[in-house]
Amino acid sequence: MTRQDALRLLEKTLELAPHTLTGGETLRNLENWDSLSTMMIIAMADKELGLPLPGNRVAQCQTVDELLALLANASAKRAA
Amino acid sequence: MFAAIRAIEYHLPEGMLTNDELACAFPGWTPEKIAAKTGIVQRRITAPQECASDLAVVAARKLFAGGTCRPEEIDFILLCTQSPDYFLPTTACILQDRLGLPTSAGALDYNLGCSGFVYGLSLAKGLIETGQAANVLLLTAETYSKFLHPDDRSVRPLFGDAAAATLVQARPDAPDGDLPWIGPFVFGTDGKGMENLIVRAGGMRQPTNDALPHGRGSVPSAGHLFMNGPEIFTFALRAVPQAVQALLDRAERTIDDIDLFVFHQANRYMLEHLRDKLKIPPEKFVVAMSHVGNTVSSTIPIALKDAVDRQLLQVSKLVLLVGFGVGYSWAATLIRSSL
Repeated sequence: MTRQDALRLLEKTLELAPHTLTGGETLRNLENWDSLSTMMIIAMADKELGLPLPGNRVAQCQTVDELLALLANASAKRAA
Repeated sequence: MFAAIRAIEYHLPEGMLTNDELACAFPGWTPEKIAAKTGIVQRRITAPQECASDLAVVAARKLFAGGTCRPEEIDFILLCTQSPDYFLPTTACILQDRLGLPTSAGALDYNLGCSGFVYGLSLAKGLIETGQAANVLLLTAETYSKFLHPDDRSVRPLFGDAAAATLVQARPDAPDGDLPWIGPFVFGTDGKGMENLIVRAGGMRQPTNDALPHGRGSVPSAGHLFMNGPEIFTFALRAVPQAVQALLDRAERTIDDIDLFVFHQANRYMLEHLRDKLKIPPEKFVVAMSHVGNTVSSTIPIALKDAVDRQLLQVSKLVLLVGFGVGYSWAATLIRSSL
């Protein structure tokens, strides 16, 4: 999954307009961000990568970039 | 003899917590948004002195009023609760007296949450098919609302109070085919998850809630329920599909053989994701929590009763049940409907 692919998936998951995320955004400042957003991201990764992300790691992410790193890590694990 | 579910009834307390009230309590929320995110429109909440046994008594009386079994025929009472009336005596003993059940009946409480109904079916089947009982009254009753901090926006929209009464009865006939009325079962336990859904104070390790350090997350006291939603969600996504597959393997069945799926009604988002992951058709998947919320061990019997009432579940249909949650604890079984 490329960085751009991951950004588009996050936008879709969080019901944001396409091409609005660049990576530096703080998650809790995003429109629509709430307590269910973490679960939506875990569900998205489970669907796309076939493995649920560790809940605590997702909850600890502060920025979109941190989330992307977590997704990239999971994606690499899956490929291995 | 074969154990079979012969009747289910449930009772909800009169008190109500609506999405309008939650939207007032939590600025930034709207009733529509809460309904869309959780799938819940209202939850029923017990009054301060209304306890698990009070709910269970009404549910059981409804069950007896249905005529399938008389109180004097009950020879075992199983009560699943994590919010008993007292530490001791056993709340099931109190229920024996309040319901006018025979003093020759066995009675026990067991402490499980969302896996509790499936565990109860397993215990009832064991009692019946080894000849120890013929009419088991399986009660599930929780008043989790008493554990919730009013400012905790992660749990207040989800949980509601309820009790369900299920009659598991011995019958001489087996259903067609090689499956029993209830079973087989698969179980799972992972105590490493204990920290993710917990009421820390009130047991012997932290007997009282006075002068204790503040709890974690948004929960200001160790006497209230703490839920780590993301970790619980990840647990469910791992455990439930594995349990379903293990059960199907054990029963030598496939997803297509199952007529109806009734999972613990945790929240609609989680249920829909699990349904999608397991490729279960929507018409075979019960979601029945919009007017009750997550009622812990009562969600499955409430959903089964609603499925019967909505004519989604007819006699002899094959139903797959999965309970999962606090512990972590999970359990799955098949039932051939005899309701």
